[in-house]
Amino acid sequence: MSDVELSVEEKIKIASGFLLSSPPGEVNDVFNDIRGIINNDEALQVGITPVLEEYNTEQLLTVTLPDTDGAVIISKHNRADADHFIDPRSKQIFKFDHLRQIATDAQPHIAESSAEELRAVVDEAVSKYASEHFPEGADSGAGRTGAGHDGDDVQILTILIVSNKYSPQNFWNGRWRSIWTVNLASGEVKGRAHVVVHYYEHGNIQLNSTKEFTVPTDAVGPLVDRSQIKEYARQLVKQISTSEKQYQFALNDTYTQLSESIFKGLRRNLPVTRNKIDWDKILNYKLGAELAHK
Amino acid sequence: MAEPIDCALDLMRRLPPQNIEENLANLLEIVPDLTEELLSAVDQPLRIQKCHQTGKEYIVCDYNRDGDSYRSPWSDEFDPPLEDANRPPARIRELEVVANEAFNTYRELYFEGGVSSVYLWDLSDGFAGAFLIKKVNDTAKLMKGAWDSIHVVQVVEKGRYAQYKLTSTIMLYTITNREELGSMNLSGNMTQQDEKDYQISDPSDHIANMGRMIEEMEIKMRNSLKEVYFGKTKDVVNELRAAGSIDDSRRQAAMHQELFSKLSGRMS
Repeated sequence: MSDVELSVEEKIKIASGFLLSSPPGEVNDVFNDIRGIINNDEALQVGITPVLEEYNTEQLLTVTLPDTDGAVIISKHNRADADHFIDPRSKQIFKFDHLRQIATDAQPHIAESSAEELRAVVDEAVSKYASEHFPEGADSGAGRTGAGHDGDDVQILTILIVSNKYSPQNFWNGRWRSIWTVNLASGEVKGRAHVVVHYYEHGNIQLNSTKEFTVPTDAVGPLVDRSQIKEYARQLVKQISTSEKQYQFALNDTYTQLSESIFKGLRRNLPVTRNKIDWDKILNYKLGAELAHK
Repeated sequence: MAEPIDCALDLMRRLPPQNIEENLANLLEIVPDLTEELLSAVDQPLRIQKCHQTGKEYIVCDYNRDGDSYRSPWSDEFDPPLEDANRPPARIRELEVVANEAFNTYRELYFEGGVSSVYLWDLSDGFAGAFLIKKVNDTAKLMKGAWDSIHVVQVVEKGRYAQYKLTSTIMLYTITNREELGSMNLSGNMTQQDEKDYQISDPSDHIANMGRMIEEMEIKMRNSLKEVYFGKTKDVVNELRAAGSIDDSRRQAAMHQELFSKLSGRMS
């Protein structure tokens, strides 16, 4: 540790790392703690705004638009600029306040791309899957990115699923995120799921799990005939559903194994004798041994 | 706005416990004037070192540290050697030797491995002690676990009675990597407190009294840890994503409801 005190900018840079590792639903608490230790609101606001943007887009934060049903995911895939995002589902563009996490100034936005038709069909299939397996409060979105370089046929679809459960009154919060990338030309389908759970009554316990998925190319394949997009979306969602189901099964299975092997192997519930320790006996024995040595 | 120390401690309760050491080091860079306060308030994972004199392993932590040297509970010597080192007075050291022996037996019976150390120090109206255990389970290739117990007891001697204040922290780390699972890190810490008065007829009674309190506490906390780690966080995972179809469960619930009302209608 150096004796020279860091500049406020350097301190904010370190604190940015804290913000990015905020547990689900606790970014405001972490931000307030950072405010308390940095003690310079002006410098903090300048330094932390891009970090909040990074946190919100990485964590797939959700926001509700005025007069619109359902929530919209904030991500780099539907980002127009630093504080404007697109909701392809309701065909709107809106301003997003990364600090206060609110959406304003929603305007109509029509995507001109032919990829939008594909996106809408896939979105419908994904939404149906999400509503079946991710409870209320969960949101899904099929965002489009890099779709079409002006007539280029290469289309990449990005599917985002996020499910949050916050219960701060019971000292726990959790988040499931999955991000799927579909290359319509090559048929390559890849995904990654993140699960974070924080439990903090009388302590700080966190589950952090990540799983990468690669769907065999022949399972979905390239989209050859665009008129077959409905059937294609159905196959795609089936693969996503199966992969995520298997991952959830592996998580539950690991919980059982951890509890039965690792945990039991660390500390027994009682000694082999199944009796608690007789402390007087241990002491007499040890003191006796001590005396015998002298 | 809250005090910087409260913010710093709240932060440590929220940031991933998998990175306690790194988070704490970074925090100290931001608030260097809180260094002493934070080092004593935030428990860090225990480390193990070998005693040069006895060849036995012992635990190094803030409780046996003087400058950059650590005192071995087995030899009472500092490593690296230290002149004018802070050692407990003879009466306390005598108790410390017995406590280490007894706690070593306790560790063997409950942990069947690992390393334990007890450090005692003098207080104006009594003494205090840190009872530490570290056990690592890495026999399974793709699953690893570690358990750290940190029990700090403050003893106030009041003639024939003594008052014991216990603060226990258990850190439990588990890391699993498997093809179907990907990676899973389920780790953290939990702290509980207890306070008791016991009779004292001989100084060695202190060891038995503290031993019983720690044993009770560890049994209780082992159950709480089991419940939170393998029960509560697991339940949250299955709330984030429902394994079965939510529509099916809703239909089922509706059917049960209907059946129930029909049955209760028939009963009345």
